[in-house]
Amino acid sequence: MTEEGPPLSGEPAVELNGVSLRYDTADTILSDLDIRLKPGTFTFLTGPSGAGKSSLLKLLYLAHAPSEGEVRLFGQRTADLSRKQLSALRRRIGVVFQDFRLLEHLTAFENVALPLRVSGEKPEQYTDEVVDLIRWVGLGARINAFPQALSGGEQQRLAIARALINKPDLLIADEPTGNVDPDMARRIFRLFIELNRRLNTTVIIATHDMHLIREFNSPVLKLQDGLLFADSAYEQA
Amino acid sequence: MQKMNPLLPASDAREAALFFVVAALCFLAVLATLTARGTYTAAKAWTAQVEGEMTVRISDTDRRGAEEAATLIAGMPGVDAAHVLTEEELNELLAPSFGPGGIPDGIPLPLLIAVDASGDALTLAAAINDQLSAEGITGHAEAHSAYAAEVRKALATLRAAAIGMVLLLTMTAISVIAFATHAALLARKDIVDVLHLAGAEDRFIARLFERRFWLLGLKAGAAGSVAALAVTAMIVFSAQSSSAPSELLPKLSLDAGDLIILAVAPVAGALAARIAARITVGRSLRSSL
Repeated sequence: MTEEGPPLSGEPAVELNGVSLRYDTADTILSDLDIRLKPGTFTFLTGPSGAGKSSLLKLLYLAHAPSEGEVRLFGQRTADLSRKQLSALRRRIGVVFQDFRLLEHLTAFENVALPLRVSGEKPEQYTDEVVDLIRWVGLGARINAFPQALSGGEQQRLAIARALINKPDLLIADEPTGNVDPDMARRIFRLFIELNRRLNTTVIIATHDMHLIREFNSPVLKLQDGLLFADSAYEQA
Repeated sequence: MQKMNPLLPASDAREAALFFVVAALCFLAVLATLTARGTYTAAKAWTAQVEGEMTVRISDTDRRGAEEAATLIAGMPGVDAAHVLTEEELNELLAPSFGPGGIPDGIPLPLLIAVDASGDALTLAAAINDQLSAEGITGHAEAHSAYAAEVRKALATLRAAAIGMVLLLTMTAISVIAFATHAALLARKDIVDVLHLAGAEDRFIARLFERRFWLLGLKAGAAGSVAALAVTAMIVFSAQSSSAPSELLPKLSLDAGDLIILAVAPVAGALAARIAARITVGRSLRSSL
């Protein structure tokens, strides 16, 4: 990965101002959040189950709109964007879902190539790149396998490869190492760090893994009961 | 490089049922169109034929007097030919009423002159009546076009009914496709969400469904069209080999126009399916992520 990342500017890559989220019938999931992340930052998001981590990530990868407040990504107020502009913005975001969301009828290669395919690129333009990335995540021998033939860990690595293939400006990962062994977890985190440093990609990782948080020593956002109660630099848990 | 799998999975049982419905609708639409067209064409040919025909009934004279009247009429402007009907011609004319045994003896036969005209038959009939009166011949000319007006009226009704039926079937097909598209979108929501989150535009996703239903419409339409062709060919064959008097049946056949309808129907069906899918997907996606 040698490409230049997004230009550094004073504009936050991620900015939430007074954001709250409520679903139709349930209680408030997120309350009055204010977050600013500069481009190129590497941030952990942690908190107990049900704290609202996944909901916050959904706001960031544009799967939900906030009930109150505003979300700005790369300086753009998402509420002001047309559907076409939202699609273009999503192409700058790579997401590793907790449940992987791999398409069962597509092979490993096709799943990883999906973001490029929907961008209109031709297979001859991306085949080598996709193959290299699949090999890098250790699935070179399974390149033509369908997701149901892969183990949980293999599926997770495939989901990570899909999130990275576009060299996103913002990478969002929801428990990306939940199904892999510690060695693979470290390897994946090192990849995220490499992406962050080489391409200046802004990375947000939701995780419960306090060992990895300690090991990689990055700022931590803590969520509890929908409230952000610490957005300081790294603190010892 | 191996062929990529489609982004939407291969069709399932729901689409097989939809295939049958679209094929049946296309079959009915084509059959309605062909039947209406065949009847219309046959009836139009009949009316075109009788437009220029008239019959003059001569009274108070013998056959020789009728021959003189026919000569007089044949010399009038706008008249192509005129002759007194022979007994054989009268027998043939009245065969539907009296059967193949002919007209029973003792029944007085009228003296009739058959006239072929190229001008306006109604005006010409009036002119013939005036001419016969002037010559002291008792007779009355009657243009067949007077009957054709009723046939034309029936044809207009038939055409309107056929157009209405085809429109109704088309709207039904569009509604069924729209319903099926919506169901397919719901069934594939997980895939649509992933595509959206990967940055796919609504237009890109809509095209996947459009292509799916375009192909389904094309294949189902072709199946319906082929079935309609088979049934029409059977009807034509059956009519042509029937022993019933040909005068009582329209001349049924499959011409180039019918073949064009058979070829165009699947494309029209597929186009309707594509439009229905585009509208449905567009509406549904606007209310999604």
